[in-house]
Amino acid sequence: MNSNRRVLKFTLGSITVYLLVSLIATITGFKWAPLHKINLVADIFTSPAKEKVPGDSTAIIPPIADKTKHNNFSLYTRPNFITNFNADTTHPSMESFLRKLNALKTGKKRKIRIGYFGDSMIEADLLTQTLRKLLQKEFGGSGVGFVPITSQVSQWRETASDFYSDGWQDENFKTGSTGSLFFSGHLFRSNGDWVEMADKTITDSTALIEKSLLCGYLNQPVSISVNNTPLPVKATRSFNRIVLSKDQKRKIKVAVADERLPVYGISFESESGVIVDNFSFRGISGIELNKIDTSFLNAVNNDGTYYDLLVFQYGVNVLYHPNDVNFGWYKTLFLPVVQKIKKHFPNADILVISTADRAFSYDGEYQSAKGIDSLIKVQAGIAYQSGCNFYNLFATMGGKNSIVQWADAKPSLAKKDYVHPNDRGADVLGARFFDAIMKEYKKYLSTIK
Amino acid sequence: MPAFDIAAFFKQFLYDPKNPLLFNNGFFVFFFGAFIFLYYGFRNNYAVRRYIFCFFSLYFFYKASGWFVGLVILSAIVDFFISNAIYKQQNKTRKKLLLIGSIVFNLGMLFYFKYTNFFISLSNDLFSTSFHPLNIILPIGISFYTFENLSYTIDVYRGQFVPAKKFSDYLLFLSFFPKLVMGPIVRAHDFVPQVNQPYVLSEKDFAKGFYLILSGLFKKLIISDYITLNFVNYIFDDPGRYTGMENLFAVYGYAAVIYCDFSGYSDIAIGIAKWLGFTIPTNFLSPYQSKSITEFWRRWHISLSSWLRDYLYIPLGGNKSASFITYFFAALFFVGVTLFGVHVWHIKMVSAVLLSAGILLLFILPAIITKQKNVLATNFNLLSTMLLGGFWHGASWNFIIWGALHGIALVVHKIWILLTGIRLKKINNTRWYNILAGIITFHFVCFCWVFFKAPDFESGMGMLFQITHRFTFSVWDGFFANYKAVLGMMLIALLIHLIPDDFADKFIARFTKLPLVAYMTAFFLFVLLYGYFKSAAPVLPIYLQF
Repeated sequence: MNSNRRVLKFTLGSITVYLLVSLIATITGFKWAPLHKINLVADIFTSPAKEKVPGDSTAIIPPIADKTKHNNFSLYTRPNFITNFNADTTHPSMESFLRKLNALKTGKKRKIRIGYFGDSMIEADLLTQTLRKLLQKEFGGSGVGFVPITSQVSQWRETASDFYSDGWQDENFKTGSTGSLFFSGHLFRSNGDWVEMADKTITDSTALIEKSLLCGYLNQPVSISVNNTPLPVKATRSFNRIVLSKDQKRKIKVAVADERLPVYGISFESESGVIVDNFSFRGISGIELNKIDTSFLNAVNNDGTYYDLLVFQYGVNVLYHPNDVNFGWYKTLFLPVVQKIKKHFPNADILVISTADRAFSYDGEYQSAKGIDSLIKVQAGIAYQSGCNFYNLFATMGGKNSIVQWADAKPSLAKKDYVHPNDRGADVLGARFFDAIMKEYKKYLSTIK
Repeated sequence: MPAFDIAAFFKQFLYDPKNPLLFNNGFFVFFFGAFIFLYYGFRNNYAVRRYIFCFFSLYFFYKASGWFVGLVILSAIVDFFISNAIYKQQNKTRKKLLLIGSIVFNLGMLFYFKYTNFFISLSNDLFSTSFHPLNIILPIGISFYTFENLSYTIDVYRGQFVPAKKFSDYLLFLSFFPKLVMGPIVRAHDFVPQVNQPYVLSEKDFAKGFYLILSGLFKKLIISDYITLNFVNYIFDDPGRYTGMENLFAVYGYAAVIYCDFSGYSDIAIGIAKWLGFTIPTNFLSPYQSKSITEFWRRWHISLSSWLRDYLYIPLGGNKSASFITYFFAALFFVGVTLFGVHVWHIKMVSAVLLSAGILLLFILPAIITKQKNVLATNFNLLSTMLLGGFWHGASWNFIIWGALHGIALVVHKIWILLTGIRLKKINNTRWYNILAGIITFHFVCFCWVFFKAPDFESGMGMLFQITHRFTFSVWDGFFANYKAVLGMMLIALLIHLIPDDFADKFIARFTKLPLVAYMTAFFLFVLLYGYFKSAAPVLPIYLQF
């Protein structure tokens, strides 16, 4: 028997039933997610009341009043703009940092050290590699700066190669530590282990590069080996930057025999110029920095090559749940951290950077996290209250849903987790941040004329 | 109350680049309904039926890729006329010239749309030229219908097939909508004779068609999409953020994804064709059951591998002789491996030369063992076929690497058989031997998938680095808790493979003549399941290793 009629009956019968169910659901406004997703007529009927786009939740944002007449808190919403909340926007932010930059630019030999703190957003030197390259091109300097001994992402970091033996013990923010953790959140102990690093950022082959070991305190001299030659060193302070060599070589191999010596990493830097240290630690929100001892912070500041600018870029790990909109807790915990750092680094300008855009899937569609405006306001409030500078990375990226556009762009600028810009995206962010600094620098130049 | 939006209604009929037509669009439901209604109504008027079929196929193509539909029509016209000219032409030289014309036309079109930018960047890298990449969009299905055109004119040239007399016969063969986007690659000599046949199908065909359509949709829309979006994309996008264990599971996950996606599409196409009275040969036969890489290629994308065998491997000389092209490709390959080792993999020149020499030795070895010179030619022909077959999948080095790895593995398997075939006679048919061989084959195929999926060589190597150097089971608990559903889907994909090849037929034979209500219930259950997974909250990536 020929079953071709069954094909016709099945097809037309199924379509009729399917269409009827779709129409009834549309007309009666019956909402059941699985059915809604497969409704045959959803696209050709317009609902009278458009659903409210999640995200705009102004009502729950904690109010922060302007304290003085000369300040304008609302400046935090501006894209591509570093603000110290001064209502007079012709006045530069981060003035002390800019003064040092200008000194360098006008011929003075000095190091300007930037510590850039963040989470997985800046892992593998993303964003900071662009910032470093542009700043060094503009103001001079070379070298990749701080490189931790081991890292989950050492294989992926393009600006430094890092090979190491297997025995290094890693104490960090998450595992707890028996000694003082550095800005990187790590401390490494060697069991006769070695590390071999090379700086891959340097283009000027004649540049003299200092290679220093960054380590903590040990009450007796310790012997390390540098490029297979023994070198006795004294790590007598809580924080030590021990210059291992100064030459045109970009590569160094260091072996440490004594596990009592807390080792942080190796820094590659020119004698003068801008040095950008990347301190990324996956999955943190910045409040972990509270774990660093005050005395240790003092030691870092008194090292002689203290930091001139400290940048804090956190937030995607605060926005961890799609429906979170209240971040008062974050202010309670992070504000003291910023205040503490500010207190112990009096020579440094401090810049708080907002979270970048992060999206979650709401009802099957990726959109910016509901609480993102609220979090950014809290972050700006932290900067405002601690007297620090603020930079709105979210607005600079393009604001609401920009991460969705970035991830879907061709070529893409962000990853499909709708959280992390990829190397191209991070390059854009680094360049925009540099432009924002240059905008302030130009303002500074016009004030000193 | 919601209002009917007439503008939106009419817009549905136009091509929307953001929402191209596929089997899972709501629009397809109406499309198919209208088509079946007309096709059935004119089932006995072959000419009208054919025109309706052509119109719907071309319209499907327009809805899937816009005005690129013009290319299908153009290539149908050109190949229809050339094939007829070849057929009529008595002069051998002219016949050959016509064939060359067809090959140049078809490959030229494919080359322009698919490979121009690849060769521009190759030229920029090798000769420091500075051509800008062109803004070329790849027309959907071009790789498939180019091969169909070629097989047709070549068959006519070889005298194996009398060309279609009516243009619409040929146009329908080329544009037949169920297989247009992702194959299978259909042969004209299988298909064209079916065009003007009575519309007949048995109850068994109806049941088999339904089974193929539904299981294909399930594989493609539920399993493949779910694993891709909720797991595989995260890891392949950024392997460095994840442990070796997660990376390894992502590779297994991708193995499930590519199988379910590809074979799912083929099954839907074969099922729909069956319902329309056409028989298209099976395209996938539980490929991960294979116990050797040779067997894998007999079970994976059969329409492609047989196409490559008939129109590439055999013309190159097959297992009989070597042609100039055989040695040309072989030379290119060994130079390529050396250059690749030095410039892309960044190994030392000596190591790269040794690598090339090692591979060359593998290719010579079977000839030494069998003491037959033509075995070397066979191996080189095989290698060239796999290299080009890899390149057919996409214009990137990774596809060439993928093809090369498979080509080398085929030769290694050959050596293995030569060395152990007789010696291991007692054990090589035991169950344990087969299971072990199956596991090894599966893992090799997975290893190759890394390069197939990764965007470039570095990220493929990075993924392998994570698996070999950053492997830890310590994150298993968190991993399992987060990706339970994904792992479940992967398990289902695996279990599908354990179903014996003839299961579906036996199953259907038992249940012939189920009432239509039963089919409709099954269909709606599937639709709801699809809706459920489409609306399910996505699994968020977690970074287990901070």
